[in-house]
Amino acid sequence: MRAYRTLIASTFLILALAVPAGAAARRLIIGGSTSVLPLAQKLATAYHQANPRLAAPKVGGGQSDIGISGASKGQFDIGDSSRDPIKGVDPKGLVFTKIARDGVCVITNPANPIGNLSQETVEGIFTGRIRDWSSVPGAVLGGPIDLFDRDGASGTQDAFQHIFLGETLKISPTATAETSNGLEQNAVASDKQAIGFVSFAYTAGVNPVGYQGIPCNLRNAKSGQYGGVRNFWMVTKGVPKGEAAKFLRFVTSGNAATKRIINSSWIAIH
Amino acid sequence: MSAHATAAPPASTIARPRGSRTAAWPLIDRIAYWLCWAMGIGLCLIAASIVIFMLVRGVAYLRLSMFVSSPAPSLHQSQSGGFSDPILGTLIVTALGIAIAAPLGVAIASWLSEYARPAWLARTVESAIEMIAGVPSVVLAIFGLLVFSQGFLGFLSQNAFNGSVTGQSFVTAGIVMSILALPLVVASTREALAQLPDRLREASYALGKTRATTIRRVLLPAIRPSIASGVVLGMGRIIGDTAIITILLGATLKNEPVGGVPLLGDLRGTGSTLTSYVFNNSPAGEGNAPQKAYAAAFVLLMIVLGLNALVTRLTAGASARRPGRRSIMRRVSAWTR
Amino acid sequence: MPPAAAKARARAVRTPASKANARAVRADERVERTLGALAVAILVLIALMVVTVAIKAWPSFSYNGLHWFGPGGDVDTQLRVMREGTPIAGHGPLYFRAWPLLWGTLLTTVLAVACALVISTLAAVFLTEFAPDGVRRTLEPVIRLLAGVPSVVYGLIGILAIAPWINEHLISNSRKHSVEYVVQLNGADVMTATVILTVMILPIMVAISANALAAVPASWREGSAALGVNRWRTIWRISLRTARPAIAAATVLATARALGEAVMLAMVSGGRGFAPNPLDGVTFLFEPVRPLAATIFQESEGLTIGALGHTIYAIGAVLLVSATMLSLVGWAAKQPLKRYGIRT
Repeated sequence: MRAYRTLIASTFLILALAVPAGAAARRLIIGGSTSVLPLAQKLATAYHQANPRLAAPKVGGGQSDIGISGASKGQFDIGDSSRDPIKGVDPKGLVFTKIARDGVCVITNPANPIGNLSQETVEGIFTGRIRDWSSVPGAVLGGPIDLFDRDGASGTQDAFQHIFLGETLKISPTATAETSNGLEQNAVASDKQAIGFVSFAYTAGVNPVGYQGIPCNLRNAKSGQYGGVRNFWMVTKGVPKGEAAKFLRFVTSGNAATKRIINSSWIAIH
Repeated sequence: MSAHATAAPPASTIARPRGSRTAAWPLIDRIAYWLCWAMGIGLCLIAASIVIFMLVRGVAYLRLSMFVSSPAPSLHQSQSGGFSDPILGTLIVTALGIAIAAPLGVAIASWLSEYARPAWLARTVESAIEMIAGVPSVVLAIFGLLVFSQGFLGFLSQNAFNGSVTGQSFVTAGIVMSILALPLVVASTREALAQLPDRLREASYALGKTRATTIRRVLLPAIRPSIASGVVLGMGRIIGDTAIITILLGATLKNEPVGGVPLLGDLRGTGSTLTSYVFNNSPAGEGNAPQKAYAAAFVLLMIVLGLNALVTRLTAGASARRPGRRSIMRRVSAWTR
Repeated sequence: MPPAAAKARARAVRTPASKANARAVRADERVERTLGALAVAILVLIALMVVTVAIKAWPSFSYNGLHWFGPGGDVDTQLRVMREGTPIAGHGPLYFRAWPLLWGTLLTTVLAVACALVISTLAAVFLTEFAPDGVRRTLEPVIRLLAGVPSVVYGLIGILAIAPWINEHLISNSRKHSVEYVVQLNGADVMTATVILTVMILPIMVAISANALAAVPASWREGSAALGVNRWRTIWRISLRTARPAIAAATVLATARALGEAVMLAMVSGGRGFAPNPLDGVTFLFEPVRPLAATIFQESEGLTIGALGHTIYAIGAVLLVSATMLSLVGWAAKQPLKRYGIRT
């Protein structure tokens, strides 16, 4: 009997402690583009270090379209997007805040270190017209080309489409669609005959291919010589308010910490 | 060989009939004999190769610093920290799951074994426990997410700013994990209770004790090793599960507490365990850190081996009185449910 | 003493001793009711699970009807448009044709269970009949080890060791070219998934089969030996035949286990909703698939999105129904074995 009373009393005590704690427990939920993901994670850590009393924002992936629709539906407090807003497709009432710029590289496996691809070859490979490495100048191995694409919700795929293929050509439907930059990087790194495209921060362990004579690296992207550069946005429903506004102010303020983080693998704009 | 369940006499004193040597068999029987041997040895080889492969890869990449450093987001493996948070996460989820499943499982097993009235209810509960054992853990996970996303259960996890409940926290994952471990505890306890001789119960009733007191003071203490082995089996199942963790624990890199209250905040926050850490760092996840994945998988495998050895010790003590082939089979089948 | 008789006796004689008795009896009844309530809570939990998953899944089934199980377009595209919220022209947002997923699940499960059946029967025979004592004592921890390895570790070994090996040595360039207009081949395919799934379900089947074989009455085997039948024939004709119900039960349980395997298959089966075509010959074993449980696991981030959520819960409902039916059938198949004292 005494055991039951103790059990009931302690359960009530725990619940009594938990409920008021529940009222105050909110933290920023950020999600969306997997290209923005490493940058957002680093910014969230820096934000938590600058404001230790606030809980660190929770940063997730899901790709740009999910970030945009999630911000609109309230699933995320801030959505990340690596593609520009498209009128008529994106939900209304969203505010896009630009936070940085980023490069997109074509990548191949390190066993196939192609230095440069021309516009025509890139078009041929990615639309599926060229199917074997023996038809590609600069390739050191033969065999069929394993093409890796991104999922339709990807902002990087949008950027690749616009920058490298133009508006009319579409990537071959037999390409394997990966759902994040990380998975694309993994896939290309583990398959000798693979070719794909990733955000610049994900080029470790794979061979970034130059485009039209310009190597794809951070210096060329910053100087503007490399053409494959696109914007990073953080999306909020309406004008940013409260915690989200505080975080965005921190990110766009151009203070030393954020500048250092952004300049490590991306291009700062503030 | 002699087919008795008790210990057989030494082989040299058994007279074998002529023609029992396998060399005398027809070819097709000999092929079958060799195939059986091949399968048996093959099983040993598969297990050995799994352990050796994980040993070689894991030890190559395992550093002691990994046990004490937190995972950090980074694109380079050398800077991405260790797995102290995932190990802590594994411990918390296992502790929560067992804390719920063990008493519940023992209670249900006692009811099934000692009371079991009305009979149709007992049969239904028996088949319900078997059903739970067969439900895939992904389905349990999505069911758990559905339940814990309801607004009134928001105190168990955290709320997003727009008011929706995420439903992801250590508490929710622990509760669903307890459903995973429950059938193992129930089966183990029931089997042990069934093997207790009736005279124990009859002696207790003859002394005037009620059934409840008998269970509490006589029967359960007598089957403590079996309950323990059931609990350890449940722990093994909880530790090895990934689907529930990914869906109900958020699989964030570090353990992120929620709110100000120290212990409860951690329980309501999201985090990761060794299994989700291994998944995320494998080529199928985001991390692209196969070295970390190998190291963590090696630690996971060692934990599971340790738990297996624990179960062996517990059941060996219990059935030391019954050596022989049938007891080995019984033990073997008990933990492969 | 039985509660009913004690209650009657307590009513009859009101002495201090019997009052204490009555209190104890009432306490006993309270305990019985509490424990019974806990047991009923389990039933409520299962009912709740079935009902909530069914309610969440119903919109997907009601929109697609029985065509939900049929072929019709690319599953990956259908899931993607649900995630993005831009329905395919001419269809509603819930349009879904799960056949490639079902076919992939069927392929991997049936192939794995078939291989495991053969291997486990032979291994169980070895364990009970032919193994010397030392080998038998080592086989027990070996089987326990195989049963206890977490599925992520199996998946890790598959994706980092087995899949690349298959890609290097078994998938030649000409094989890749032969299907390049339809699908890309890498090592993550039906074969890798089947091999690892077989290893995962072997321990269950070996354990149950060995248990059943060990319980065959000794007198039957001795009688057979007395008639001059060699050991293998005895096993084949008598032991295995007697253990057939147990082996059937083991197969059913292993199938339920294989159906529910999500994480390992998500890592090694290729992740493309492609229905391998047996007419491709041997190449069809190297084509990627996407089993049902792996689909749920991979799409789990989209559970809160409307259409995708309904579809995932629909897939979950299919898994729930099939896996629990298999479990019940397996349990029912094990019941007659208890008559012979075969404990499984």
